[in-house]
Amino acid sequence: MRPSWTRAFGMRRLALAPEAAGGAAALSLPARVGPRARPWWLDVWVRMLTGKPLGAVGGAIVLVMLAAAVLADWIAPYGFAQTSLRERFIVASAAHWLGTDELGRDLLTRLIYGARISLYVGFGAIAIGSVLATAIGVVSGYLGGRFDLLVQRGVDAWMAFPPLLLLLSIMSLLGPSVWNITVVLGIAFGIQNSRVVRGVALLVKEHSFVESARALGAGHLRTTLTHILPNVVPTIIVVATTGLSTVILTEASLSFLGLGVPPPYPTWGGMLSLAGLDHMYRAPWLAIWPAVALSLAVFGFNMLGDALRDLLDPRLKGG
Amino acid sequence: MKRYVLRRVLLAVPTLFLVSVMVFALMRFMPGDVATRMVEGHAYAPTLAALRHDLGLDRPVHTQYLDWIGGIVLRGDFGHSYWTRQPILDEFGRRFPVTLELALLTILVSVVLGVVIGIVSAARQDSAADYLGRVLAILALSVPYFGLAVLVVVLPSIYFKWTPVWTYVAFTVDPLENLKIMLVPALVFGVTRAGPVMRIMRSALLDVLRQDYIRTAWSKGLAERPIILRHALKNAMIPVISLIGLQMPLYIGGSVIIESIFRLPGVGLFFFEALTRLDYPVVQSVNLIIAAMVVGLNLLIDLSYAFLDPRIRY
Repeated sequence: MRPSWTRAFGMRRLALAPEAAGGAAALSLPARVGPRARPWWLDVWVRMLTGKPLGAVGGAIVLVMLAAAVLADWIAPYGFAQTSLRERFIVASAAHWLGTDELGRDLLTRLIYGARISLYVGFGAIAIGSVLATAIGVVSGYLGGRFDLLVQRGVDAWMAFPPLLLLLSIMSLLGPSVWNITVVLGIAFGIQNSRVVRGVALLVKEHSFVESARALGAGHLRTTLTHILPNVVPTIIVVATTGLSTVILTEASLSFLGLGVPPPYPTWGGMLSLAGLDHMYRAPWLAIWPAVALSLAVFGFNMLGDALRDLLDPRLKGG
Repeated sequence: MKRYVLRRVLLAVPTLFLVSVMVFALMRFMPGDVATRMVEGHAYAPTLAALRHDLGLDRPVHTQYLDWIGGIVLRGDFGHSYWTRQPILDEFGRRFPVTLELALLTILVSVVLGVVIGIVSAARQDSAADYLGRVLAILALSVPYFGLAVLVVVLPSIYFKWTPVWTYVAFTVDPLENLKIMLVPALVFGVTRAGPVMRIMRSALLDVLRQDYIRTAWSKGLAERPIILRHALKNAMIPVISLIGLQMPLYIGGSVIIESIFRLPGVGLFFFEALTRLDYPVVQSVNLIIAAMVVGLNLLIDLSYAFLDPRIRY
């Protein structure tokens, strides 16, 4: 915030008579701040609203989902594991807007709590994965040589697996739990995307400012942290935002097979799962609503991610 | 060309070695014991120790690994299932055609849909058809294939009294009946995969259509159809093909889910059943075979670029 404020202040003062630039002028400033003076993180959203309608729609969906996840304890009409055997298989009623399942649990409640699990796993895995991707990618790219060769063969081996088979193998042995699936998806995301980060690190390494830093006596640690890392960050943001929908979808497919988040917690994938297929013939809404929720979430994250990539990726700028 | 292929094959060796170590370590160093599970379920052996000895689980880990990998490399023996004692390769061979057919049909559906819509979208950029195509592609991207599959299994059976055919018939026994069974799963999976194909096709074709040789083709009076289909399409197909290659692991992974919903006796179901029963040798060998296939396929795809674009040589 600070730099843009002072810049705007400076511009304004040039236009006005010097003595007029007192407290009063400073107070009226924010209204007159031009588009270029906006901080970049705000500017991205403004440009999204004006130029990327689909991205804005995606952002709105994500916001609703976030709100549902954070406020679940207050807005959900029932408890997520609260059963009521007298009210099984209700299509929709004033008390249960989206109906109930085979144990009389309220579907809307479970969808709201499902958003919490999806986001928890999604953001958790992306956070772990981004750190891992950055660590592997930057170190492997920066050091190069034999170390790089060795690490990259490991990444090759990991990528030779169909992702779902590998994740299923790991999850069936670790056992389903929220923590396990978050860590496993995070590691998978990290290893896969370390390639991208490594590519950028290789490019940045060749710049002369890195060479200058080395010549000035900066150690390897300092060079990577202060010179390579900041240049890799935009790539990581892009990779992370576009990866969120994939991670959420993967969690859903693992939960669908019963190897993701264990039963007491409601997840969208778990609600659709094979185990409940028999009940769905009797109550199709049990399949419809979770599928709709999942599609909407994936759509929202995809659109938001696409728009953010267009706006943030320096390679796509001016296009 | 020959040297390139040779180098790629040699590079695949350390990759596959690492794959085998990874999948083996995964199976051995994590909690969960197959012997306990087997003794609990049925009396496969009088005692736990006897069963362990019988399965070779009491030997040191590195001997077990060498035994497994040695069997594969030296004798082409991929081991036996713990539970059924059947050779894994035989079972894999029986089930692979199902998964391959599903994958090929899925690719066919997604490529036909994606390429046709992509061509129309690119050739009529910013028209109503283009917007419709792009919206469809985004929808296809958003709907999870297992969600769609569940809806396709459940909804028609309630409202139209129609259900997918549940008893599998091999293609060699009755091709028509077989296609009737495979059609629905392939359509469900293919439609959801058509989204990315369409988007890549559209952007690649738009890119190619702006190149000089296309302008030359226009100016020598060629009609639109041959320009797009004969001149532009071939070049624009390269990213589409590499996308399909990149997605191949996804098709195989997805077959686990599709096969368990539609009850197709393919490799995916074989793998998943082995996994839930902690059948280590099956999980290891199937993972390794499929990883080898993925590596081989990537090589084939790289070689196909040279056919599509004569400027590319290896």
